[in-house]
Amino acid sequence: MGKFLIRRATSSLIVLAMSVVMVFMSIRILPGDPVLAKLGAATEVTPAALKALREEAGLNRPLLVQLFSWISRALHGDLGVSYFSQFPVTRLVAERIPVTLELTFFIIVIAVVLSLILAPLSTLKPGSIVDRVIGYFTSTGLSVPGFVIGIIFILIFSLQLQWLPSRGYVPMSEGVAENLKLMILPSITGGLTATPYLVRYLRASMLEIKQSPFVRTAEGKGLSSARILFRHILPNSLVPTLTMLGLIVGYTLSGVVVIEYMFGLPGIGSLAIESSFKRDYVVIQGVALTIISFFILTTFLFDVLCGIVDPRLRLSKEQKSEV
Amino acid sequence: MKNALIVNNLTLSVPSSKGRVTVVDDVSFDIPAGTKVGLVGESGSGKSLTAYSLMRLIKDPVRIDKGEIYIGDREILGMSMKEFRHMRGNDISMIYQDPMSALNPIMRIGAQIIESIQLHSDVNHSQARKLAIEHLASVGIPEPDRRIDSYPFEMSGGMLQRVVIAIALSGEPKVLIADEATTALDVTTQDRVLTLIDKLAAERGLSVLLITHDLGVAAQFSDEIMVMYAGKLVERGSVNQIFSNPVHPYTKALLDSRCDYTIDVTKPINSIAGQPPRPDNRPEGCVFSPRCEHVQLQCREGVPPLISVQDRLAACFRADELFHVGMVH
Amino acid sequence: MKFKSRFSFSGFLILLILGICLAAPILSPYDPNAIGVADSFSGPTGKHWFGADDLGRDLLSRILYGGRITILIAMSATLIALIIGTLWGLTAGVRRGWVDEFLMRTADATMAIPQILFALVCISAVGASVISLPIVVGILLSPTTARMARSAVVTELSSDYVVAAIASGTKRSRLIISEVMPNIAPQLLVQLSINAAAAVMLEATLSFIGLGIQPPNASWGTLMLQGYAKIWNTYWFVFFPAMAVTITILAFNAYGERIRVTMDSRRSSI
Repeated sequence: MGKFLIRRATSSLIVLAMSVVMVFMSIRILPGDPVLAKLGAATEVTPAALKALREEAGLNRPLLVQLFSWISRALHGDLGVSYFSQFPVTRLVAERIPVTLELTFFIIVIAVVLSLILAPLSTLKPGSIVDRVIGYFTSTGLSVPGFVIGIIFILIFSLQLQWLPSRGYVPMSEGVAENLKLMILPSITGGLTATPYLVRYLRASMLEIKQSPFVRTAEGKGLSSARILFRHILPNSLVPTLTMLGLIVGYTLSGVVVIEYMFGLPGIGSLAIESSFKRDYVVIQGVALTIISFFILTTFLFDVLCGIVDPRLRLSKEQKSEV
Repeated sequence: MKNALIVNNLTLSVPSSKGRVTVVDDVSFDIPAGTKVGLVGESGSGKSLTAYSLMRLIKDPVRIDKGEIYIGDREILGMSMKEFRHMRGNDISMIYQDPMSALNPIMRIGAQIIESIQLHSDVNHSQARKLAIEHLASVGIPEPDRRIDSYPFEMSGGMLQRVVIAIALSGEPKVLIADEATTALDVTTQDRVLTLIDKLAAERGLSVLLITHDLGVAAQFSDEIMVMYAGKLVERGSVNQIFSNPVHPYTKALLDSRCDYTIDVTKPINSIAGQPPRPDNRPEGCVFSPRCEHVQLQCREGVPPLISVQDRLAACFRADELFHVGMVH
Repeated sequence: MKFKSRFSFSGFLILLILGICLAAPILSPYDPNAIGVADSFSGPTGKHWFGADDLGRDLLSRILYGGRITILIAMSATLIALIIGTLWGLTAGVRRGWVDEFLMRTADATMAIPQILFALVCISAVGASVISLPIVVGILLSPTTARMARSAVVTELSSDYVVAAIASGTKRSRLIISEVMPNIAPQLLVQLSINAAAAVMLEATLSFIGLGIQPPNASWGTLMLQGYAKIWNTYWFVFFPAMAVTITILAFNAYGERIRVTMDSRRSSI
């Protein structure tokens, strides 16, 4: 397992480093002056004052120096200070991240549970009515933007039936029931956006495994179809699906930004959008760094999980290139 | 002698652009209890499909159109799948072509045997594990108490085929089907696995159906040989009869086309002219007639039945005649 | 060999949507930006099929004109993604070695940045316009195109006919233009269709969170944002643009899927 872990961890770190550099560079290369944005258009500024402010922000140093000092400070947990509110970005992110994590957790749970029901159901009898209905659901689901699903839910459950609130957030500490009630619509919205990807992938993977000779061996033993499904087909299909799930968590994190915004949840997604209206780049940059790190960490964790499920990854000393 | 297995008029078809076409055509045979029968044929002759029918492992789009299969005295094609499932492993078992892919890659081999043992007998897990170790030892796996916790990818092909055999025999079946069981293995391993099956069959009094494309393997292993061509059974006889004095022109051609380097290296290999007919393009009359050197008008007009000729079964109008001529060219 | 009919509903739908958007000035019953042509929040009526918004603008006209913006941005973005992505993937697939490694790692890294955040950074810096939106969306879609182009090229280059051609002395560069490109063209077409769907979705999403082009013009996403803000007053304000977006994305995805299926069945029937 050691070598496998080290290889995966190294490649994760490389990807992380590259995307961090890309985020940093895109902010610096693009036009738009953060210092001007900070001062606001209405203020009269002398060039001297501007220069002083830039020096204070360290914006006159070479890009590479800025990059390294930013990274080294980020490694110490210092993501800079918001131009706008003057709060440390780390604090802003830390205040808001529980909301995002809670939402992401619910979304993934809903997507995983739904997929584990729908995919086996559709592979039970390929081409049957059940399979076709699930097929329509997935291909439609892949085409409906998350916020459209959200809008439909709000129209039905908040406006029409008035069962559930459509906006707002109550921390868990102030009321678990209230918190959960407000989380239902956003979670289902996000869950339904992620489910089609997972179902489609798991279904394809299960159908492929179903054709394997070892499944025939299992049938030949006299095992029941349920046992074959759960002991033989599903575990083997999970191996590639877990990697996919890691990627889906990534897409979900991106979708969460929009969902938080439309349901008025104060997570880091809303933080990023609010900051973008104020051109508060330091904050956006901090949020981006946080989300990218989470994304890469989860894909890494799912790779490790793959290794736990699949002994070939875990035990083989030399990586064999068999699929 | 009582028959362990009887197949009557088994007919299988697959869909094609011309509608459903027959791939196994009215095949009937039996296997007397305790005998080892080899079923020989080229790929596409329908021998593997015949074998899978015996386990009811035929999947869409292949379909069983007609036929009866008796295992012991129970007809299996008519019973419900639920009922037949209890016969799998218990009454009839199968060894598969490629041991590398015949085992679940992410499950320890022990778990795969135990799963089968617990299905067929009412034992708890630790008893089943003990039994599994015994089974592994009986198929000649060294250090079975350690090997039981291995994963398939940690073992060689020959060892894996032994594991597959152990699984097949764990339910103590009476009939064993070996579908190209040694094809994927190298020659020395092939030999050891064959000897093992032979030994186990003798110890347990198994009836064995060995499916192979290799006449040599069939000769080494079986008591009797059946030859299949283009979905039809064309000849059946003892190893001696088939090898020293075949009556069906196809069997004869098959024997001639073997390259036997041990006899004479300079001897030319006689290949059979033409290709086996595709299932959607089978000829009228005898299926072998377009390639047969002894073909006559009647061969193109009628289908020769599988009948007793010279103490064996053959499906050829001229079998008797050709037997006496000895088929000298 | 039987072939499915050449008529495809999704293809027809795409042409219809493009046609309607092109003909918006002719088809629109009202000036999309004219205030007060209807009562504020008027529901669908015979005069105003899709009703009116808070300022009494005719919603049908606004959706027709909004489609022009959405489709224009999506099409340009798709084109940009196709060009960047194909060059990116071709270079990686043809050069291999460390160039390949570097380019594909960059693709991984780009895909690791959540799309919305990346767009947030760029758009808030340069402002949303008919120029900036396609570029940003195009860049976001290019890594997936690059990956697809790379794997297609690598497969083609290792196929027997290419190996044989190289062995017989054909120049690689000629081979890529005359043999490999035509062979990966169907796959690029599938990617094109999927990208178009993704571009419509991204544009709508960005507009929905307020990063769309500025009023009084409005793309479908912007219309949805305005409608969503007034969701407690009327439902059709948000409903009709949402339908327009969804149907368009469905059509592009379905068309891509259709080409892919045809391609697969043709390949397997050989």
